[in-house]
Amino acid sequence: MLHRAVPGAKLLAFALVLTGVVASANVLVVGGIALTLVAVIVALRLPWRPMLLLALYPGIFGAIYSFAVATDLLSASLIILKAITAALVAVLLMFTTPYPQVFAPIQRVLPAVIGDALLMTYRSLFLLLEKFSHTLTAVRLRAGLIGANPIRSAATITRSLGGVLLYSIDLSQRTHDVMYLRGYDGRLVVTPQPSVSAWIDRGVAIVGAAIGVMAVAWRIWWPGLNPYAWIPPLVAMVLLVVALAWRVFRKEPV
Amino acid sequence: MAALMLVGMSSEIIPIAYHINLTVLAGILLGPWLSIITALIVNVMLALVGHGGVTVIGLNTLVIVAEMVVGWFLFGQFARVFGRRRPAVSAAGATVLALIVSTTLLVGIVALGGSPAATRESGAFNPATLSFANPFGGGVVTNVIVAPQAEQPAPKLPVARFAIMVYLLGSVGWLIEALITALIVGFVARVRPGLVFEGASAEPVRAPLGDEGTHT
Repeated sequence: MLHRAVPGAKLLAFALVLTGVVASANVLVVGGIALTLVAVIVALRLPWRPMLLLALYPGIFGAIYSFAVATDLLSASLIILKAITAALVAVLLMFTTPYPQVFAPIQRVLPAVIGDALLMTYRSLFLLLEKFSHTLTAVRLRAGLIGANPIRSAATITRSLGGVLLYSIDLSQRTHDVMYLRGYDGRLVVTPQPSVSAWIDRGVAIVGAAIGVMAVAWRIWWPGLNPYAWIPPLVAMVLLVVALAWRVFRKEPV
Repeated sequence: MAALMLVGMSSEIIPIAYHINLTVLAGILLGPWLSIITALIVNVMLALVGHGGVTVIGLNTLVIVAEMVVGWFLFGQFARVFGRRRPAVSAAGATVLALIVSTTLLVGIVALGGSPAATRESGAFNPATLSFANPFGGGVVTNVIVAPQAEQPAPKLPVARFAIMVYLLGSVGWLIEALITALIVGFVARVRPGLVFEGASAEPVRAPLGDEGTHT
């Protein structure tokens, strides 16, 4: 369902949920948001393993930062959980929206050179990764990488990266020449994805707004609402259990 | 160049702990103005995959631009001192100093931030206040929302502890980055010296398609 929502609605929901995560100062509320996002991932049959791995990565750096600055264990947990939850929101957006559709709204408000560079960088990234992989394979076949001599292997890998650097410069020059020949006039235009269902779009925006408003409300009126901070994670846990049960009921692999 | 920086960041030297940035290399090759655009693009793309925060894209860009511009400037100065025959030495020195500057800038930004709300948890598990009563029983608006707010003292941010950790852990990364940047700059200076010493203003070399296939 999230794949069918229009990118604008998803970006709005992303901004609202992220605002809630940033504004919150209650570990249970942030935990509730994280569990809700996991429930969405499970319900929509998205690849949860790579998504969670990507989301956990910033938690490592959050742990280093919290070790340095946190005053107690709960504050440290809050820092780490906020880093993971914010990353999970971003990963959920990127796994359900094509990159050009995410860049298109950004491109409209940024200068043309930056907007076009975002799109071309996305394209070039995969070309360079493939080139680097092929180069390393060729080096390995020619015994350039030897486990017994890590220094020589490291120097070889670095020179391979230098070769990829020269390839990337030549690639960008050729790409510019080809685009100029094909009529590039200084701005790439991305056709916006049409809306499939206005209800799905509104639903995504409303859910994002609900999460953001809930988190901000708990931040503003925390003395009165904190005693009931167990409610958001409980609701999120119920949603997660329902999503898992639905997948099991339909005999789908989790 | 932004794509190459992202490729470099995906190549972990020590898994989870260290990855190369290639920021100083990009600064040397691109010069100061293109470095700003490159740093912004890299930060936007990293934020969208969860590596780096969306709300700190501006600050991250500032730090990386400082790294690239300082690296570019120092490489130019060191190249005058050590000559064009030792670009690797110039690149290594420029990388270490540029990373020291950017790390100091990072510590300064954290210190200027003071005591953010993130370092103060509002008491989620406080057993004294935890309640399983109906939150709407007494009226949410009058009893919850309109109730007077209690002042919470902000704890002092231990900047010194943060700085010690960052400088200790970062110093290993500086040396690794300097070594890798020196090796790459040395290689590129042998193959295409104009790219290293003239940077973005060098006359482009339109290399014909070789064995790299039909990529355009």
